[in-house]
Amino acid sequence: MAGWSRRTLLKAALAAGLAWPLRARAFGDASRLVFAQLRHGGRWDPRPDGLPRLAWEVAKRTSIETSPMVRGLSAADPDLFRHPFTVLSSDVALPPMADAEVSALRRYISYGGFLLVDDASAQSGGPFEMSARDLLARILPAGKLTRVAREHVLYKSFYLLDGPTGRSVTRPDLEAIDVGGRLAVLYSPNDLVGAFARDSLGTWELEVVPGGEGQREKAIRLGVNLAMYTLCLDYKEDQVHIPFIMKRRRI
Amino acid sequence: MDGTSYNAWRLTSLSTLPGWVLVLACAVLCAAIWLSFRGIRAEPSARRRRILIGLRIAAGALLLVLLLEPGVELRAESRVRARIAVLLDTSKSMRFPAAPGGPSRAEAMLGWLKSRLPDLSALASRFQIDVYGFDKELQPQDPEKLAASVGQADQLAQGPSTDLLGALGTAAAAGTGGRPLAGLVVASDGADNAELIEGMTPQASAELQKLHAPVFALPVGAQAMRDLAIDKVVVDDFAFVRNQVTVDVTVSARGFPSTDVPLVVKREGQIVAQKTVRVGGNTQRAEAKLSFVPDRTGKFAFQVAAPVYEGEALAQNNSRSFVLKVIRDRVRVVLVVGRPSWDVRFLRQLLKRDPNVDLISFFILRTPGDDTRSSQDELSLIPFPTQEIFQEQLKTFDLVIFQDFGNRPWYHLSQYLDGIASYVRDGGALAVVGGEQAFSASDFGGTAIDAVLPVSLASSAPPVEETPAQVRLTDAGKRHPVTELVPGVAANEHAWARLPQLPGLNTVASVKDSAQTLLTSQDGRPVLVVGEVGRGRTLALTTDASWYWSFVAAGQEMGPRAYETFWHGAIRWLVRDPALTPMRVASERTTFEPGGDPPALDVQVRGSDYGAASGAQLRAQLSSAEDATQRLAGQAVAGPDGTARITLPQLPPGAYKAVVTAKRPEGGDVGEAEEAFVVQPSGAELLQPAPRPDVLRAVAEVTRGKVLEQDDRLDTLPFRDPERVEVGQRKSRPLWDRWGVLAALCCIVGVEWTLRRRWGYA
Repeated sequence: MAGWSRRTLLKAALAAGLAWPLRARAFGDASRLVFAQLRHGGRWDPRPDGLPRLAWEVAKRTSIETSPMVRGLSAADPDLFRHPFTVLSSDVALPPMADAEVSALRRYISYGGFLLVDDASAQSGGPFEMSARDLLARILPAGKLTRVAREHVLYKSFYLLDGPTGRSVTRPDLEAIDVGGRLAVLYSPNDLVGAFARDSLGTWELEVVPGGEGQREKAIRLGVNLAMYTLCLDYKEDQVHIPFIMKRRRI
Repeated sequence: MDGTSYNAWRLTSLSTLPGWVLVLACAVLCAAIWLSFRGIRAEPSARRRRILIGLRIAAGALLLVLLLEPGVELRAESRVRARIAVLLDTSKSMRFPAAPGGPSRAEAMLGWLKSRLPDLSALASRFQIDVYGFDKELQPQDPEKLAASVGQADQLAQGPSTDLLGALGTAAAAGTGGRPLAGLVVASDGADNAELIEGMTPQASAELQKLHAPVFALPVGAQAMRDLAIDKVVVDDFAFVRNQVTVDVTVSARGFPSTDVPLVVKREGQIVAQKTVRVGGNTQRAEAKLSFVPDRTGKFAFQVAAPVYEGEALAQNNSRSFVLKVIRDRVRVVLVVGRPSWDVRFLRQLLKRDPNVDLISFFILRTPGDDTRSSQDELSLIPFPTQEIFQEQLKTFDLVIFQDFGNRPWYHLSQYLDGIASYVRDGGALAVVGGEQAFSASDFGGTAIDAVLPVSLASSAPPVEETPAQVRLTDAGKRHPVTELVPGVAANEHAWARLPQLPGLNTVASVKDSAQTLLTSQDGRPVLVVGEVGRGRTLALTTDASWYWSFVAAGQEMGPRAYETFWHGAIRWLVRDPALTPMRVASERTTFEPGGDPPALDVQVRGSDYGAASGAQLRAQLSSAEDATQRLAGQAVAGPDGTARITLPQLPPGAYKAVVTAKRPEGGDVGEAEEAFVVQPSGAELLQPAPRPDVLRAVAEVTRGKVLEQDDRLDTLPFRDPERVEVGQRKSRPLWDRWGVLAALCCIVGVEWTLRRRWGYA
């Protein structure tokens, strides 16, 4: 069980036993949304309670089946390919990654994996951001992080949102690398996962600034949209949805 | 005397000198006379001047006579008789009746010729009479023989087409001995299908005027003037399913008052389009566009038909048939998902990327138990459009996929289940993909959906068996196109065996007898089962982790090719991609000539396991576009390679659909396949055989001839009678060699010389 973080296991067991929105479960994790956290040589899991809480919120609010478990996996671990949603995070600079790991991540992203790069330091131009950009440039030399337009389906995949947020609002936009028409890498400068972190007693671990709990709710909604987007892609761009969405956007 | 009787003469020059020498000599003589006149103009006596000039002119004239060597040409002349060309139509359209229930046009034409033989005899004293048969080409004919063969007139009418203008031009130029053309007589139905097919044109008119002879035209069959015809049907060879097809129809009416004619397009006895077109009166031709939307793929026989009115010259030309191949532009798939999952995401991504797939998706994103903590207006969710998907639009889909989807009470699907099952039986396709809400957990057990699936759903066992499954090909799976990842049985088995294990499988009560299990787990649980129900196909995949064959396989350095190949093959098979059809029927040709070689069907039959069905009993049943009733038309037995040819009997003109069924010798069904073909003439000669007296009238008017009545005498027609003589013998006699001319010249010169000397000139 080297891939599981100790705290994650404990929290997950508690959540599963007490408050997890239970549904029939039989296929294991194959059909569920199970977040993976990319293990690297630095502080790879700065918000250990964030992703389990997001999984809980997603399961509670939507029809998506999630798992409270978060798998901590290195880039070279073949099991990473059983979890198409992976989070790369830290609040300090990322240590250099081996070529084999870079190559594995390239393959992961190219064949359908999704990588959320979350700056837990929420420091624009800080060490994490600089190192993450360098790493992404190695993984996808031809790709380039570009601003995600507000009209993107990511902002309407479940909730109708007007923009990104997180534990803080360092910058008003998300950036992403498009691979084959989908957002394959998403860069959040606002410590998105930090806004979800909640301990087993139900206390939010980190203060959300400057918007307080309203901002936290928006962050959770963005997390839900993110989960929905990775599973449904541009489903909400289908013609059948457009009249409804246009109407509600006008309200 | 040589005994020849000359009846004309003329003066001529017998000189052998070149013409220019003679002209030069004339000029010199004239100049000499003029100079001599100038030389004596000082002579005061006018009498002397006149005498001298007169003598010199006379001498010059005599000298000219000597140079020209004048002669007399004696000629035996005779007058040339002009030609009359009689053209008789020998094209196939002359086999049609001249009048309803009457003799054929050819018979009527030869009867007329027989009655006009005395007229031709009378004309023969003044003209040369050339009789031709014409259709595509011109052939000389003996009028006496033709007149004697009225009873076998139809044997004369064999020409494949009618070229009236070409025949007139060729006949005009065909005369011998330079005889002028006095006129042409044409007996025809006027059903031209060459340059005059659209009637008289400026170019045709110019061609006719070059004949410089009148054309007298006898319209044969003109008494049956009343005729309605579908002249032309224009439609593409193929169409896209669910896309509008437009048939351009040209209708002509002769002898009709202005009439509203209802046109219909029929397929297998059913009217698929209709329109009323006004034609007749001053509007001899009208065009109409009839449109319909084909609702399924395949090859279909259609007929465009107008009613047959009483007294029409022809009933056959009131309908035209055609075959239309209906294909897919894109496979229209509706993906109904009970819950977002990775399996859903990878399948949607695959389908969206496929340019041949038009994907409509509906995902259940929230269930009644979910708490979104928001108002409805803050969500992008829409109501489940059950009525639109499962009722209004259902027949527009080629394939319905239920992925991890169950019959939950809040969906209110019960009212649509029978319709979905009917859709499948009528040729649709349904794929059910596993998940925690699928199969025995779906609540579809015992419903109409359960009845069409290849597996039985109702089961008391837990809905999911969690034991990981390594899939294996069954014997059927080794041959089936759905499970062919790579060519070759061994390579294909290896390709499946190396794929990642599936984490668990849905349970089903049983696999139906009529279904085929293509993939199982290592412990025999069904993974992939396919079946056919009615004309439709179904597929059951008891896992929600087929995405493992893509993404997890990519992590194991295999790539997603197996996943993509599997799903593409499954979709192609489900929607009956012709390339994956186990049984095929192809007609030898699309169109067969009536009375020609009998239609034949080539059948290739394989079982649903795609093995050659040798010895299969084949029965071909025919229905037509007018009558959907199927009638047995031929039988055969498939050879060792599963092929056979079924020769059908001679069929009357029409559009036909052949349904070939194959049964195993012991009685089990093997399969069924369809083909469509048309029996109708291929050329315009028999497709547009209606009499065209208007064409003949126009020809007569342009050439200043006239339209003949049956009883009009030919020997009183105003043929041209141009003068032309023929010189039979000629003989020339010289005049110059008479001594008197030379003596006169000498005398005149001598007198002139003497007088000049006497009057004091040098």
